[in-house]
Order: sequence, then structure tokens, then C-alpha cells
Amino acid sequence: MATGKHPHLTATSAKRPIIEVRHLRKEYPVADDSVVALADINLTIAQGQICCIYGESGSGKSTLLNQLAGMEKPTHGGVRIRGVVISRLDEHELAAFRQRHLGFVFQSYNLLPNLTAVENVAMPLMFRGVPKERREAIARSILKRVGLGNRLEHYPTQMSGGQQQRVGIARAFVAKPEVVFADEPTGNLDSKTKVDVMEMIVSFARDLNQTIVLVTHDDNMAQYADRIVTLLDGRIINDRMIR
Amino acid sequence: MRFSDILRLCRQNLFRRKSRTILTVLGVIVGCCSIVLMISLAQGINEQNEKMLKSMGDLSIVTVYTSGSGMVNTSSGTEQVKLDDKAVESFRSMNDVIGVTPVMNFPYTATLKAGAGGRYIADYVQIMGIDMTQFDQMGYKIADGDKPFKDGQVMAGEWLAYDFMDTLRGGEMRYANRGDGSYSCTYNEATGQCEASEDQDPYFDIRNTRLTLVTGANYQGDSYTNGSMGSGAAGQSDTMSETLTISGLTKSDQNKGYATSSGLVMDLKTMKELIAKVDPSAVKKANTYDQVYVKAADLSAVPDVESQLKSMGYETSSYEDMRQTMEEQTSSIRLILGGIGAVSLLVAAIGIANTMVMSVSERTREIGIMKALGCYVRDIRVMFLAEAGAIGFLGGVIGCLLSALLSLGINLIGMTYFASMYGYVSNDAESLSFWQRLWQAIAGGDNVTRYSVIPWWLYVFAIVFATLIGLLFGFGPANKAVKIPALDAIKNDQ
Repeated sequence: MATGKHPHLTATSAKRPIIEVRHLRKEYPVADDSVVALADINLTIAQGQICCIYGESGSGKSTLLNQLAGMEKPTHGGVRIRGVVISRLDEHELAAFRQRHLGFVFQSYNLLPNLTAVENVAMPLMFRGVPKERREAIARSILKRVGLGNRLEHYPTQMSGGQQQRVGIARAFVAKPEVVFADEPTGNLDSKTKVDVMEMIVSFARDLNQTIVLVTHDDNMAQYADRIVTLLDGRIINDRMIR
Repeated sequence: MRFSDILRLCRQNLFRRKSRTILTVLGVIVGCCSIVLMISLAQGINEQNEKMLKSMGDLSIVTVYTSGSGMVNTSSGTEQVKLDDKAVESFRSMNDVIGVTPVMNFPYTATLKAGAGGRYIADYVQIMGIDMTQFDQMGYKIADGDKPFKDGQVMAGEWLAYDFMDTLRGGEMRYANRGDGSYSCTYNEATGQCEASEDQDPYFDIRNTRLTLVTGANYQGDSYTNGSMGSGAAGQSDTMSETLTISGLTKSDQNKGYATSSGLVMDLKTMKELIAKVDPSAVKKANTYDQVYVKAADLSAVPDVESQLKSMGYETSSYEDMRQTMEEQTSSIRLILGGIGAVSLLVAAIGIANTMVMSVSERTREIGIMKALGCYVRDIRVMFLAEAGAIGFLGGVIGCLLSALLSLGINLIGMTYFASMYGYVSNDAESLSFWQRLWQAIAGGDNVTRYSVIPWWLYVFAIVFATLIGLLFGFGPANKAVKIPALDAIKNDQ
């Protein structure tokens, strides 16, 4: 691993770093010019940490999340997860990497409408080639844990927003990934459900010592994190540990 | 992703958009039906042609003869080619030749008599001499009894017994339907219709009756028939008689000589002896043959055998040229009809492409989600291809089933209403029960005219073709789906 090459970055955390961002820059072309969305981001997130990326809309926090998850290629610099430079992976390797190591919780839930709750949750395991009976058994037990034991065979349209997001959380954690990215997971929910959802994410992460990257502009939600990284105009303006 | 999971997702997606799937499949069904039915009509024409050719002759037999002008180079200069035993031997050693026999026709008029005092007479009997050792190889068949195995034994044509007339009953004959297309009926006053005569037994059992052959160098036929035909008694000097027994009956086959139907078939040796008895001076002439039948191993070998024979200086004739012309015609008809059918399948294929394009665009978000969660691009492509292929396959299978029914209908209608127009079907359709007709329409038969024939390979071809078309036209949309970025899923706008 490249830790030896950049000892100053790993020194900030006592625990093993799982995500390392170096000199990350992302520009989007606009007409003849280009807009800088991220300018020289350097960030190291340790395993087991719940890290909140906080910022107003337009601060570049969603762009940073896309970069972390390998959704877009950076203009300059790169992201390393578990020592793997993800911008250098091809499409197939990236898919395999996501299957094994990454989980996602989306703001708009993003469940497949023609699949039941169990099938939605079992989907990441299906991509890995786990047989139907086994993966659905795992999906059922995790759905029971998020309190949807009575909604197993329901379709997304038959469930409330909070229930759908709990299915989304179950799906993100079903394959026991090392890193879970949560993009405004509470953005579409009412304040009571928000608390349930955040507590659920935190409890999963603590159980398996998983790393969470939480993107939000909601102050209250940021309080669930161990660390808050504040972004403004594509730069980190504040980075503090709160726990 | 497991293939079973891909298939399950593909089934769920097809079911989700039920009406669109059904309409697209319907398009493929129509396309598949049209191509299968069009080709089946061409196959029907083909089948009828083949039957016609078969009724004309054994297609693998080449007749060899000399024109009188054929010359061949020998050590002592050129000399005229001869069809003698040496030539027959050389034909036998050719590649792809499975049987060779000279054919001799008895050069004199002959009459057969049977019964006490020669009561039953068959006049002007055709007598054919072939090489009995080649009997099976040449495709001759035995209807009853055996090949001759001792002197004085010959074979009779299958219907020879019915050629005998009873001189004590004014030349009356017995009737049997010979199955050769000749048709006899008697008018029934009660019903006002012409009814087929019933088969009768011949006057005597030809296999257990001694026959007397009467012939001679200037023999003009029996006085009984000559008298009844009013030609007057010609010089009947120098007649001779020979007693014959019949070892068996040859199966009637017009292509292998009329004698197989109602004549005598004997070995060349027997015939040469017979000629020697009639006219010893003619024996020498009998050593060259008028014609020789050469049977090729199969139809495809016929052109080759023919050209070899021609290069040896002989004249040949076979049905090969005619068969080839007909085959070329049929295949061009098949191409034209198949092309017309293919147009509608093409339209159906565009329908598949359209359905898949729509399906991809409305599932953009889903594809993005799947990619974000780690679905391989390969699996997404296979998923869409499987959907397109399934539409094609489903349409192909249903289309084939429908084509089978339609083809059956066409045949039933054709057999019921048009059969009489051709006068081809001797087992006329009305005399058969519905189920018998149904069976004929499906399986065909020697005397059944089918208009639409679907060979098994056409079903296989149609289903495979429809599936391939689906895959081919699903390929573009599938590639479009693959290019959808995972980012689309993570975007917050709904």
C-alpha cells in the first residue's frame, strides 16, 4: 500500500485509513470555460469512522461523493479506497469493487419498482451470484432488523417514504460492505422518521465497524457523525472531530 | 449474476409491460407465420414436382444407348462404340455406379396361352431380358414369389394375369385397379353415377399354372385375336412353343419397363436361348444391346456418371436435366416467396427494436441504480438481449404453431375442394373420413396433393431466425442501456 509514500496523510488518524483523497480536482466544462467544482481536496477517512460531508447546495459535496464512489473520473488527483485507486479501474473492475466493498443509501431511495422489498434488498447479493434462496434468507433477516418483517413481499409503491428508506438501508448493508455512502438519506423524510433512519444507519455501522460517508446539509443529521468535514466552493473549510 | 436471475428479471420486465410485450410478440408471430407459410407453399410445389418426376421414372437411372456415330479410340484406330458385355463390365467398374444391366426386348411377337387347350390367351406379350443378378441393385422389386432359379422359369409382371382373355367367353377379361392412374368405372343407373369397378380375381393362379409361349420369326399373333380384330390370318408358318413356369411376380414399375407390369421378365441368358431357338442366325446380333441401364448410387452422382458415359462415346438420357431445371425453378420461387415473408418479419424486427428502445429509455434510472450497486455491464447487456431474444423466440414458437394450423387448413381446403380439378387424386377425398383426410394433410402420402408443406427444419429455422432477429435488433438498445452512467441514479432529482 501507498501509506509509506504519504506518511503525513495517515498520521492524522490513529486507526487504519480506508479512504484517502489526494489533490482531488474536478472541473466541468461550460461553453469555452470550465467551472471548478472541487479544488485540491485532501482527506483521509479511517475505518469505522462516520464522516459527515457538510455544506450548502453548490458547495461541491455531491461532486465529492461522486468522486469517492467512482461515479465520475477526476480531472486531477485521485481517490484510494482500501489502497485501490478507483479512478484507474475499468467499468468491470469498478462494478466488482462496488459489489464487494461499497454500499449506497440514496435520498430518493432508488428501489426498483418491479421488485418486492426482499428482492430489492437481495439485489447486491444477486449481482454477486449468490443463489436465490440464500440471498433472500439474508435479506429477510436484515429486513426484520429494520422493522419491516411484515412488509417483506410489498412493492415500493405500497410503502411509505420512511419504510422505503429502511428498505434502502437494508439494501446498503446486506452485503456487509466496508464503506457505505449515504447521500442526503433523510432529505425526503419528516423529522421523526429522520431520527429513526439516522439511528439505524449508525447502529449498523457500529455493529460491523463500517465506515460511513454521510452527505447532508442538515445540521441535526450531521450531529450523528464522528467527524464533520465542511465544504464551501469546492474546498474544505473546516474539518473537526466531534466524537 | 446467475443466468437464472437474468431470466427471472427479464420475465418480470416483460410481464410488467404486458400489453406492449403482447403487441410486439404479435408482430413477430405475423412475420414468422408469413415467412413459414410462404416457404411452405414453395415446399408444396417442390413436393408435387418431385412426385411428378418420380411417377415419370427412377431418377437415379441413366439409360445408355449408341447413336451409331459414337467413336472410340482403340489400339487399332477408331472404331464404333458397342454396347456389349465388355462395355457393361466397364460401366460396372465406374465410381458411384451400383447397378448395371443391359435391357433386351424380345424381337418377335409372342403369345401366352394357359388352361386346357389354350383357353386363356394373352397376345402381344412384352418380354424383357435383364441381368437377373442385378435385379435388386437396379431397384426392381418382387411383388410375390421369387426370382427364377432354374431353367424354364421366368418372372411375370404384376398384372399379367389380368391380360388373359377367355376365348370361350368372347374374349372377356377380369378387372383389377392397377394403381397406375388408369381408371375404369361402370355407370350405375340407380345412383346416376359412375362407380369404380370392384377388383376381381384373375381366371387362374398364374404362379401355379404352366404357360405356353408361342412365337416365331414371322409370327403375327394368335389367330383368335387376329380374327377378332379383323386383320385376317397372316402366315403362321414356323411357329414354336416353349413351356414356362412363373417363379414370381415383379412389382409394377413403368420406369423399369412395361414388362414389369404386364409382360415377362427373364434373364438375358434365358432370352438368348429363346432367340436361338427361334432363329439361330440372330444370336450373334443379340450380343450387342440396344440399351443399358446404369443406376447411380444417388441422385447427386447422376451428372457425374452421365458425363463419364458420354466421354466414353455413348449417348445417355436421364431425368437429371429436367430435375435440375425444376429444382432451380422451385428454389427461385422459394426465394421470392421467402423474401415476401421476410419483409413482414423485418417489420416485426423493427417493432422489437422500438420496444427495446422505449424500454431502455424508461428504465434509465433503474439501470443507473443497478450499476451503482455493482451490476456488471455485461449482465445488463445480457438482460436486455435476453428480453429482445425472448420476444423473438416467443413470437417464433407461437408463429410456428399458428403456421402449422394454417397450413393444415390450407391443405384440408385444397384437398376437399380442388383435388377433383386435377384428377390427380385417385383416392378421392370424399371417400375418406375427416380424420383420414386430416392425417393425410399432416403426413402427406403417395397420392395426396399437399399445397403447403412444412418440413421439420423450417420450424427450427423459423424459431432460430426469429430469436436471432430479436437479438440482432435488441443489440443497439442493449448497448445504449450499457452506456447509461451510474451517476443518473445518484442524482437527487426524482
